[in-house]
Amino acid sequence: MPEAIQIYIERVIEYTPRLVESLYETGIMMVFAMVAAILLGLPLGTLLYLASKGKSLENKLLYQIANIFVNIVRSFPFLLLVVVMQPLIRYFYGRATGDPVAASFPMMLIAIALYARFVEQSLHDVPKGVLETARSMGVTTPQLVWKFLYVEARSSLIIGFTTAFVSFISYSTIMGVVGGGGIGDFAIRYGYQRYETDIMYSAIAVIIVFVIIAQWLGLRLAARLDKR
Amino acid sequence: MIDIKGARKSFVGKNGDFKAVDNVTLSITGKEIFGIIGESGAGKSTLMRFINALEMPDAGQVIVDGIDVGTLNKNGLRKHQKDIGMIFQHFNLLNNKTVEENIKLPLELHKYKNPLSVDEVIKFVGLEDKKENYPAELSGGEKQRVGIARALVTRPMILLCDEPTSALDENTTDEIVGVLRKAQNEFDMTVVIVTHELNVIKQLCNRAAILERGRLIDTIDVNHSVTDRSDQSYYERVLEVLKDA
Ligand SMILES: Nc1ncnc2c1ncn2[C@@H]1O[C@H](COP(=O)(O)OP(=O)(O)O)[C@@H](O)[C@H]1O
Ligand SMILES: [Mg+2]
Repeated sequence: MPEAIQIYIERVIEYTPRLVESLYETGIMMVFAMVAAILLGLPLGTLLYLASKGKSLENKLLYQIANIFVNIVRSFPFLLLVVVMQPLIRYFYGRATGDPVAASFPMMLIAIALYARFVEQSLHDVPKGVLETARSMGVTTPQLVWKFLYVEARSSLIIGFTTAFVSFISYSTIMGVVGGGGIGDFAIRYGYQRYETDIMYSAIAVIIVFVIIAQWLGLRLAARLDKR
Repeated sequence: MIDIKGARKSFVGKNGDFKAVDNVTLSITGKEIFGIIGESGAGKSTLMRFINALEMPDAGQVIVDGIDVGTLNKNGLRKHQKDIGMIFQHFNLLNNKTVEENIKLPLELHKYKNPLSVDEVIKFVGLEDKKENYPAELSGGEKQRVGIARALVTRPMILLCDEPTSALDENTTDEIVGVLRKAQNEFDMTVVIVTHELNVIKQLCNRAAILERGRLIDTIDVNHSVTDRSDQSYYERVLEVLKDA
């Protein structure tokens, strides 16, 4: 038994450089996805909220366009989304396969759509009284968003982001199909295809640990910011 | 100061259109404390919300300080709302902001020529030791004091109060009535109070309009009770109320 453990440890050490490299690739995809979620998903979710019925920018057409975009991206089978986006990525980035930056494009798209939906929901949960107060003070729409909505929704925006983040990790694991690498690709390549199950399980354990840490950090931050 | 002429407002309800405010004409003089009373659903809030354009009448005119509110564009409406303070039954504080941040909020939205300082209003409503607290840490009466301070900090020309004491117990109601009276004395505003609590009207108002199912039934001069009950102890109040009865 101790011998088996020793062999396992040796193998893990042998694979560590490749594991670290794939974690780095996952990191790149995650950073792109998170930045897109914040820079584009947050405004899109806010637009979905503001353009909805009875809100300050009520606009059926605008709402429908944004809504359809989010629905299509979210219901598109992700693997097929990756494939379908190939020509587009090649056009914008020069190459569509073989590196994590190219693989980040579909990640960004799903991140935007996913987080926009969370944001929309969080904003709808802001109490009516807060909106009424803002209106009675004669706010502009940007003031409404920054000084009222984001303040009162902040912990739920963070919880939504945490949930989205966990999904991004899951989506990132299939980017191996276009040579994007990452921890999921590592698990498949070494563990599944080469029957080195112990390495595969180790990689999966690493993913799970990351998810748990992200989850814990997000919920802690949200709780700390929640004064309700 | 405030002239409402033939104002009507309907909402679409289950059984067709529902007249919330039905042809109401009334006039509120500058610097008076005016009450709007009536049963729940009588249209009091809707009528008051015409004044700061939270609701727009379907027909009729609302003229505030010489300006016909119905003619204002978006920008004009914001300027109009800027000088009208409002307090609410459920306080409507931002729970993620401290007392001080809540009170400061209106000053971050517009430029005011002559606002009060945040410290001044906090002192005025007696919350010096709660500045850094969040609303969740306050009692109902304290929350309403924050609401009042937030409304006063801009030195509003008009203060609208929608059921300001209806979520409070009797004791606290008298406290808040005291604060409102003191505010009107000190800051020289026109105050409009919507409530179904006759006691509050009796203690505060010069005149009151009575609404019934959207219609103005009567406008009466209130036989203003001068005793300021906010200085009495709970025991004194019990004696006064129960012995009178
Ligand atoms: N935004 C709205 N949509 C539909 N009905 C409304 C709306 N606002 C008020 N009402 C209805 O209009 C009537 C009068 O409301 P309100 O002015 O709030 O009465 P009060 O303040 O006297 O209780 C009520 O029956 C209420 O249900
Ligand atoms: Mg009401």
